[in-house]
Amino acid sequence: MKRLLLYLMLTAGALLFLYPFVWMLAATFKPETEIAGFNLIPQQPTLESYRFVFQKIPITRGLVNSLFVSIIVTASVVLFGSMTGYALSRLRFRGRELIFNLTLATMMIPAQLTLIPLYTMMVKFGWVNSYLSLIVPAMMSSYAALLFRQFFRSIPQSLIEAARLDGCSDWRILFTIIYPLSKPAITTVAILTFMGVWNDVLWPLMVIRDQELMTMPQMVTLFAVGGQAEARLGVQLAAATLLAVPIILVYFFIQRYMIESIASSGMKG
Amino acid sequence: MKRSWLILIPLSLLIGCAPSRTAREDEAGGRVSLTYWSATNAQELEFANEVAAEWNRLHPEVQVRVEPVPAGQSSEEVILASIASGTTPDIYSNVFPGALADLQDAESVVQLDAFPDFLEVMRERMPPEVLEQYRSSDQHYYQVAWKSNPVMVLYNTRMLREAGVESLPATYSEFLDAAARVTRDRDGDGQVDQWMATIDYYPIWYKRLFDYYPLYLAAGGTALFQGRRVVFGNEQSLAAFRFLRECFARGYVPVQTFQGDVFLDGRVAAKFTGPYSISHLERYRAADFEYGYGPIPRPDGAAGRPASYADPKSIVIFKTCRHPREAWEFVKFVISKQNDLRLLELTSQLPIRKGLLEDEAYAAYFERNPRMVQFAEQLMTARSIDSIAELKEVFDIIAQEVEESAVFGFKPPEQAVHDAAGRSQQILDVE
Amino acid sequence: MQPGEANKFSMLSKPAAAWKRFRRIFPRRGESAQKDRAGYLMTFPYVLHVIVFLGYPLAFAFVLIFHRWNVYTPMKWVGLGNVKLLAGDPLVWRALANTLYFLLIHIPLQLALALGLAELLNRKLRGRNFFRASYFLPFVISGVVVTILWQQLYATETGLINVLLQRLGLPKVGWLTDPRVAMPAIAIMATWKNVGLYVVLFLVGLQAIPARLYEAAELDGASEWQKFRRITVPLLNPTIMLVLVLSTIGGFSLFIEPYVMTGGGPAGSTLSGILYLYKQAFTFSKMGYASTIGFFWALIIFTVVLLQRRFVEKEAVE
Repeated sequence: MKRLLLYLMLTAGALLFLYPFVWMLAATFKPETEIAGFNLIPQQPTLESYRFVFQKIPITRGLVNSLFVSIIVTASVVLFGSMTGYALSRLRFRGRELIFNLTLATMMIPAQLTLIPLYTMMVKFGWVNSYLSLIVPAMMSSYAALLFRQFFRSIPQSLIEAARLDGCSDWRILFTIIYPLSKPAITTVAILTFMGVWNDVLWPLMVIRDQELMTMPQMVTLFAVGGQAEARLGVQLAAATLLAVPIILVYFFIQRYMIESIASSGMKG
Repeated sequence: MKRSWLILIPLSLLIGCAPSRTAREDEAGGRVSLTYWSATNAQELEFANEVAAEWNRLHPEVQVRVEPVPAGQSSEEVILASIASGTTPDIYSNVFPGALADLQDAESVVQLDAFPDFLEVMRERMPPEVLEQYRSSDQHYYQVAWKSNPVMVLYNTRMLREAGVESLPATYSEFLDAAARVTRDRDGDGQVDQWMATIDYYPIWYKRLFDYYPLYLAAGGTALFQGRRVVFGNEQSLAAFRFLRECFARGYVPVQTFQGDVFLDGRVAAKFTGPYSISHLERYRAADFEYGYGPIPRPDGAAGRPASYADPKSIVIFKTCRHPREAWEFVKFVISKQNDLRLLELTSQLPIRKGLLEDEAYAAYFERNPRMVQFAEQLMTARSIDSIAELKEVFDIIAQEVEESAVFGFKPPEQAVHDAAGRSQQILDVE
Repeated sequence: MQPGEANKFSMLSKPAAAWKRFRRIFPRRGESAQKDRAGYLMTFPYVLHVIVFLGYPLAFAFVLIFHRWNVYTPMKWVGLGNVKLLAGDPLVWRALANTLYFLLIHIPLQLALALGLAELLNRKLRGRNFFRASYFLPFVISGVVVTILWQQLYATETGLINVLLQRLGLPKVGWLTDPRVAMPAIAIMATWKNVGLYVVLFLVGLQAIPARLYEAAELDGASEWQKFRRITVPLLNPTIMLVLVLSTIGGFSLFIEPYVMTGGGPAGSTLSGILYLYKQAFTFSKMGYASTIGFFWALIIFTVVLLQRRFVEKEAVE
């Protein structure tokens, strides 16, 4: 009996989190008049909402932009984060502790502080309305550096010494020995970074004005807030659904890795 | 060694000789090319294209290219961004006079009274007291007052008649009286479903230009600022705030929002709007829908012609223009009599020109469009707005105060006006 | 070390030791110099990036406080003008009050729900992964999607929530139009979106608690509630701290929700610090004042987190 109650509660919980999405999906196929209903199967299915969205905004372009920026930033953060993490954990050089403390200190700076100056820097560099403003400031992450440092410390020093004796340079060591052993850390950093960049809307709103360069979340935001959706509910929901679909698809396949890596990073954080 | 030179020379020639399009066209045959940004709505674009085509026909040596203003969150923002990136057009015709201060601060617009015939053309176009409203604080002119959409009150005359209101209200009491008759529960379900008016009280700064500001002007208000001093914390603002409060407090204006056009649906009997509503109404109304325009309500016992807000737009020439003289000639063409007539015909917006109703040239138009007559009558007592860098912020504060005081009643009108003026003065004082 | 040198050293031990010491301080080019160089090279891009995109903006943000600037015209010195304006700005204090109101609702709700669900999941279950994945889903979805969706759910006339309430015979609620309810509405939505993350974190924390502690307590006759209070909560303290800090920072960083759903209204009840900063910078082009707000806001976050650590964080219990 207790078991049944348990499952009931858990299922109620799952419903609470899943039903709105299913409803949203259904609503995008309903004509405006039906949207307020609970029914998940539209009585008069229509593709009009989606057609309107595709007509009004270059949303596939937004998808491409988001993918482009997210992938490049993720690769960069992993690369430079691992380099820095390796140097901080395994190499000896003057100033190492200084840099480590610097990394810790940067984590304490809230993003709000630097938003405005960063924006004005983008204007001065002429990077407004260019991918550069989306990529370069985000290219490196202190959090990634620390995560990698933490992880690399658990790699036995003997492996590294052996490689050194063989005449490997530290660069070689990093890429050919450390990387293959660091799949969990790399996955964690990659997933976290990708999610963070993909979902960020505030920064693109500030630095990108040209629709051709907008990220997908930014485009959908402006679509919903500006008058383009003409206050049509189905249309707004359709845009939102299109935005959600890529993540949901990816989530479907890698949710286990996602959850586990975020959980493990949370414990160390 | 020899081979690399073979490549380098043509390459450097190519790079060195890739001039900007304008320069190339200039050299091509002494032709001048001007870019003209117009507002993006269909009618104005049509007007702009027509005027440019006609000009291009008459002046093969000065060619004007029309481009719509690029997309962005607001056209002011887009213009400022284009100034920052150096991509401004030569001529721009969608300038909000209140935002001119921004353009002046950026030193991006040409001083127009430097053209020898500027003042003469302007004086011929409009009376001195109107022209004065478009002069900048340094006593020079940087804008050409082009078109206006005077704000008036649109009424569903049948709804008024059915409620026992015979004539269109002109004063506060008349309006509130009519409101009391019109606002009721039509279908007997215990909830009011018919109201006197709709006001979009969402606290975005420019919305207040269509309710608070016209009310302020109609109550006798003039300038909002004198230099850097806030002067709108006065009786006229108080009158406007009190009136708005009455409307919301008594439920004559609904607080909830609706889908669709509440005026066309016959759910409200009035709204603040401009002449652009005419074409919208004609297109979408039911056959038996009757409507008319009245003045902005003002305090009882006021004399003279009722004032309103002109909702004007001006034309400017940017300093990045390489041929300002030719640009000025084009601007004169845009505001010429025959093109003013086309403006009326294509966009239903009024050129800021005196004597529209007396001039033969426009007689046929007003005969065909009798509803525009009222707007033309309102035109000369419709006022522009102060140009000050902090205008948006001041109106944002006013919008917040209207929402808090008039809509939700969280503070009395006196307090709201006082706070709005005080806060605005603090902002101006940061200088 | 090269093979040849090793021979040299092994022959003379004492001077060899001294020589090794000497070499560690003044490394010969080519050996630990190479070690050093790799270290510098590897961290150089990162350090440069921090200086350019973090250090300089930070310094500039500070300078901006004392100026008036709209990016297109030269900066103008205003001394403490912006600070004075902020001190007397009712909207800044309103944003602060709104945020605290938000946190007051969001954090307890979050903790209770996340811990509750984690407790339920913390046992051998069929489909545990499914449940965990479904609670986690809203967390990975973009905030924009969640906001647009909930804007629909909260719609006064046609929103699902009010339709449901009406069917149950309850009155409609002006979720986004009533100034008293708007912020709680956003708090509920934010909880729904993020609780999955904290369920996962709590699960990890719960699984780390050794079962013998519970067994020992049961032997002493402890009730469920006592077990919870005396064992679970203290041992989960690090996770609770984490949830607290993350939720707080999240609450202070609220932007996209009010931006899309309410624009800061009604009557300024959902105005958040970042939204106000954004408005100052991009609607009014007041970069100096926006930067002042940014600094003030960062200071507040810092203080609040500090206070939380002071009063909530406990040393790890063995």
